[in-house]
Amino acid sequence: MASRKKVLLKVIILGDSSVGKTSLMNQYVNRKFSNQYKATIGADFLTKEVTVDDRSVTMQIWDTAGQERFQSLGVAFYRGADCCVLVFDVTAPNTFKSLDSWRDEFLVQASPREPENFPFVLLGNKVDLEPRSISSKRAQQWCQSKNNIPYFETSAKEAINVEQAFLAIAKNALAQQNSAVDLYNEFPDQIKLTNTQKPSNGGSSCC
Amino acid sequence: MSYLDVEPGAAGESLLLTTDTNATFDNQYMSSSLEEIKNEIEPSETEDSNNESISNVTTYEENSSPMSVDNEDHEDRIQDKKWALMDKHIFVLSLAGKPIYSRYGNEDKLAWLFGVMQTLVSFIQSNDDNLISISAGGINFVFSIKKPLILVAVSRKQESVQQLQNQLNYIYNQIASMLTTSKLIKIYEQRQNYDLRRLLTGVERLINHLLDFAEAEPAFLLGAVQCLSLSSSKRSNISSAIISSCSKIKNIVFAILLANNKLITLVRMKKYSLHPSDLHLIFNLVQSTESFKTVESWAPICLPRFDSSGFLYGYVSYLSEDCQACLLLLTVERDAFHTLKEAKQRIVEKLRRNNCLEAINESLAKPDVNCAESGFLEVRHYLYKSKSTAQFYQPSVSPPYNKYGQVLTDLYKRLHQGLHCSARPLKLFFERRANEAIFAWDTVGFELYIIFEPLVETGNVVAIITRLLNWMKEREDNLFHLQVPTF
Repeated sequence: MASRKKVLLKVIILGDSSVGKTSLMNQYVNRKFSNQYKATIGADFLTKEVTVDDRSVTMQIWDTAGQERFQSLGVAFYRGADCCVLVFDVTAPNTFKSLDSWRDEFLVQASPREPENFPFVLLGNKVDLEPRSISSKRAQQWCQSKNNIPYFETSAKEAINVEQAFLAIAKNALAQQNSAVDLYNEFPDQIKLTNTQKPSNGGSSCC
Repeated sequence: MSYLDVEPGAAGESLLLTTDTNATFDNQYMSSSLEEIKNEIEPSETEDSNNESISNVTTYEENSSPMSVDNEDHEDRIQDKKWALMDKHIFVLSLAGKPIYSRYGNEDKLAWLFGVMQTLVSFIQSNDDNLISISAGGINFVFSIKKPLILVAVSRKQESVQQLQNQLNYIYNQIASMLTTSKLIKIYEQRQNYDLRRLLTGVERLINHLLDFAEAEPAFLLGAVQCLSLSSSKRSNISSAIISSCSKIKNIVFAILLANNKLITLVRMKKYSLHPSDLHLIFNLVQSTESFKTVESWAPICLPRFDSSGFLYGYVSYLSEDCQACLLLLTVERDAFHTLKEAKQRIVEKLRRNNCLEAINESLAKPDVNCAESGFLEVRHYLYKSKSTAQFYQPSVSPPYNKYGQVLTDLYKRLHQGLHCSARPLKLFFERRANEAIFAWDTVGFELYIIFEPLVETGNVVAIITRLLNWMKEREDNLFHLQVPTF
């Protein structure tokens, strides 16, 4: 089992279909890119181990399907995420417009303890393509309005900014973990003996 | 029937709490004897009717984890294959899908697989249903959702879903025994994304041991405990030595003396009783902790069936250099170490004076007789469980099973399943196989499982069983702990 220095982060990737969620993940984990489009069915899972500030971090990446007909994995799917990565395609304005609903959907489903401080990261993907329809400025404005979400412009195909973006994702999630309350320093509950014993329901018992 | 009059090891009053079947195991977090416990735990619903069967499951090899670096690729693949072919995998994860435990392999590297397991559970739950098991390719995947954890068994062995669920329960209880269930629940209420491994450093060893232990030890299958053979007068001397040495100490709930996985005695506070499954966790703790042999220890222990919300504090020490029996004094007091240490010294002195240490050593040195030695030539081995006392007896294992323990274990699992399968439980089971004839019988008072020579005559079976029951009855004072000593 892991020592205290080891951390596992659950990272969820959300965004419209074909913005490049799976490609980003594949570029990050396997350093591979394919031009072929294969829709994710349900969800894909990948693991990546990285070192962040001397801590060994395992990223458990949950890549989701963007298409609505696969959005049936249930509430529990988002539960207990450490970071949520929102992805849009800088050449497709509709994918940018959906960001609000993806973010809201996540917050409703995952219901994190402090929604306003939950670590999101925004990725504008496909910067290698032309023509571009969402400017950096516009994306950054959106991020500012959401409590300063970090923004990265990436290309899964050209491997631009992918490492950097995922490093920021890990750092953000870690910062959140460190600020959380220390759970294990409390004294455990003491058993109080009383003289009333409830009958057991397993069979004959003895008093 | 005449043999029903003979019920070795039966008693009106029992040392241990008794269980009727393993099926009840799941939902009965008993009765906490303690005021504060108000059924905080919602036991998982396991209705057979909710059983989901999924037949077309793609194997994980196809999506095999893509994390390997090229030069290690080949080696990793061999490792993966070996890993995939293991007889039985056990996984524990949080409801968020974060890995907590994997019996084989590094759970960090398997993080993707835990994600898949959580998604399967969560997908079925979103339809207001519960995933219980999947059968595919001769493998049983059994899921147990015990909030806030998900436990999964993947077995190629001939084990029923029920038996695997029973094993998963033990693992959950083992984790609870280190943290208490109320703490476990509280942790995840505060942080769903918690990485529980931080709190369970060192517990992996206990779980690993528990899994091997439960595999080899019939006590787990039967939900019962075996006692060390001792004359009833010696056993009662031992109990009195413990009682009189602790008489002035308040709040000792249980005093347990055990050796070699067998119970020597158990003294308890009048109002409270101990469940065999809690005792199994104690046996597991003692067996897997070498350091108890050299130092006296003070350890918080939660016994989930007794009270899952709090800790008992255990003084643990072997009796002496020359007697390898382990004594546990369990109290609710957090700082009673020195008081209990003194009590232990008084206990050892008394036991030495009464020649009890000698008696324990003698019994430990002399193995139980095997079937042939006690005159049962057609019987190779048997298990007898007295239901009213939750105790069992087995003779020494003799050839051929001394070399093939697994064969014996599998035969008993098969017999046990015959009597306890929830769909169609049998009262009587007899099967003639190529290598042996196997028999099981469930009565009001006992369960009896026998492995016969393959050519035993059916007509003789009843007579042999009668003789066997009488044989045990004559020795029941030695083989079973029939008194109920209390503080």
